[in-house]
Amino acid sequence: MRTWEGWRPADVGWPAPKRRPNMDVIGTFVAVGSDKEWEEYMIQRRSFLGLMGAAGAAAGTGLLTTQAALAQDKKFTIALVPGLTTDAFYITMHRGAQAAADALGQDLLFQGASEWNVTLQVPVLDAVIARNPAAILIAPTDKVQLVEPLKKAHAAGITVVCVDTFIGTGVFQTGSGDADFPISYVASDNVLGGVMAARALAKSIGEKGKVYVSNVKPGISTTDQREEGFKKEMANHPNIEILETQFNDDDANKAAAQVQAVIGRVPDLAGVFGANLFSASGTANGVKQAGKQGVVKIAAFDAPQSVVQELKDGTFEIVIAQHPAEIGYFGFVSAFAHLTGNPVPTLIGTGFTVMTKDNIDDPDIAKYLYTG
Amino acid sequence: MGPGVLSRIADLRAWIFLVLLLIFFETWANVAYGVTFIGNTYNLQSIGIFATAPLLLALGQTFVIISAGIDLSVGFTMGLAAVVSAHVANLGMSHFGLNPLLAMLLGLLSGIAVAFIPGLVNGWLIARLRVPPFIGTLGMYGIARGAAFLIAGGMTVPVSNEWFAYIGNGRIYGVPILVIIAVVVIFLMHYLLSQTKFGQHTYALGASRVAAVRSGINVGGLTMRIYLLAAVCAGLAGALYSARFTAGAAQAGEPLLLSSIAAVVIGGASLFGGSGTIAGTVAGALVIAVIEYGLVFINVEPFWQFIAVGVVIIISVLVDQSQRKLLGGRQDD
Repeated sequence: MRTWEGWRPADVGWPAPKRRPNMDVIGTFVAVGSDKEWEEYMIQRRSFLGLMGAAGAAAGTGLLTTQAALAQDKKFTIALVPGLTTDAFYITMHRGAQAAADALGQDLLFQGASEWNVTLQVPVLDAVIARNPAAILIAPTDKVQLVEPLKKAHAAGITVVCVDTFIGTGVFQTGSGDADFPISYVASDNVLGGVMAARALAKSIGEKGKVYVSNVKPGISTTDQREEGFKKEMANHPNIEILETQFNDDDANKAAAQVQAVIGRVPDLAGVFGANLFSASGTANGVKQAGKQGVVKIAAFDAPQSVVQELKDGTFEIVIAQHPAEIGYFGFVSAFAHLTGNPVPTLIGTGFTVMTKDNIDDPDIAKYLYTG
Repeated sequence: MGPGVLSRIADLRAWIFLVLLLIFFETWANVAYGVTFIGNTYNLQSIGIFATAPLLLALGQTFVIISAGIDLSVGFTMGLAAVVSAHVANLGMSHFGLNPLLAMLLGLLSGIAVAFIPGLVNGWLIARLRVPPFIGTLGMYGIARGAAFLIAGGMTVPVSNEWFAYIGNGRIYGVPILVIIAVVVIFLMHYLLSQTKFGQHTYALGASRVAAVRSGINVGGLTMRIYLLAAVCAGLAGALYSARFTAGAAQAGEPLLLSSIAAVVIGGASLFGGSGTIAGTVAGALVIAVIEYGLVFINVEPFWQFIAVGVVIIISVLVDQSQRKLLGGRQDD
């Protein structure tokens, strides 16, 4: 389809234009924009990219000469504190940060809790602060409760970068509020992920029919944004009707029953967008139980290794892979850029890859599978 | 009309409620969409499959609740079993060269076997160390959860074994195998609770622990067996989860814990112990499944679905309270 489906890792560093304060607004723009607006936006995006690309390329080419000089004098230690250590998403993010550390000749410290939990993450963070790294990349497990612990790091002169999740509003360096001290927020633009799912699903159902979103529960910022992007994009496809969203509480069993009930009422259901792994796998099972495998197409979000098989046997039609390695990579590079006196955008959105059974064997696509 | 008839009706109230719900959905489907709800075997199959996992948890939980206890750990015991059975089924094929059928059986059995560990520890904590069930099983909730995630490495464990998938998704004469297994377990549990000494002692323990001790029941051993039974039911639910989704997930049972307790309560068991039946629990699980399925079927906005399930639980407990007042604190024998 469009150029943006073919993004490569080099051009997904996406420092957001200053006039767009958050991801939400970017999503709106993407979804409602005409082709021409999109082109303009991409040009703008690319120009910002130049900045980031420079930082990224510093690794190989030494473009940022001050850094190269500094790097010889002093090696920075930059810590990465993930939301949890046992998740493939964060393990992959760790790999990306390590790649940046190796390329830049700096040290990476990786420490986190084994579960997604504020009371487990804070002691780990305190221990990391005690090691006095130059910067901390963190995926805060709570928007509010991590503010004070991170302030301690900031007060100690440690540069803070939020990756994947954020504190406060996620809008940093504005000079207002008490949670704007992180220098940047690096994450997938989930609204855009929803848009990409919608475009791919629309194409695979032949631009017509009925679809709905199988979602976890209301109030989770990332999955809410995916649904929002999906719905906004689908509004541009006049022959596709969006049915009521179904919430499954992250219960595959319930997601399966829901799709069976919807098929019972709407036998010509054409597709479902599963906004996370359990929503998608539960829906796939329900579709199978209803004898509609291959007829009802499923777009799934997130790409652990198991999706290879599921794409090939037709369980999923489409998988939208986030790029956690890029989040780690760009997070590390932006911290390093800041430490060496270079400007860093306050918001960096990383890209997505659309996987299908036709492209999953391509190493350029398969490299975006999350690895444990 | 004596208390005999009244209590009979009270016993059946979950079933009456279920019938009312079915009539409601049937009418709505007819009026709004001109289709039948219960006349469609597809809907019945879907509801049957939907109810299986929470029902299996609820069957074991029924014994625990009748004995005036609670088991909060069953959700993650199920997750642990799901992960272990998926791993073992994979290992059976890759390391021991078993054929898929044997690997599948080994996987399912290991899932059930691993559930003995949390079951025995729960029983030991509660029976021997006199830890309150709420606290003891809450501790086990965390331990089983952590163990399941560690074994799974934070991911789901995919299984590729056609026999595994067949158990979870196959049908015999149009009846899903999962439903057949659930029906067998229902009859087994009904027999255990209503026809054996174990079942009668469970009622006695829940009605009055002191009286149970005085009458010479080995309360410690009984408690152990009750929590073991709850864990084994959860283990079976977990093993079947892996079969159905051809992947074991540590968080498989987390969302089911509360529905399983709700099913037991809607089915007429008292959280104070001493009363409850398997038939009631089955109806309770079906009530929840029919509501959640039916509301999607008739296209009710999702937020109303949360409210509807909450309202049904409250109504059910209110009916239970008033029934007890009416019958003067009757306990099942």
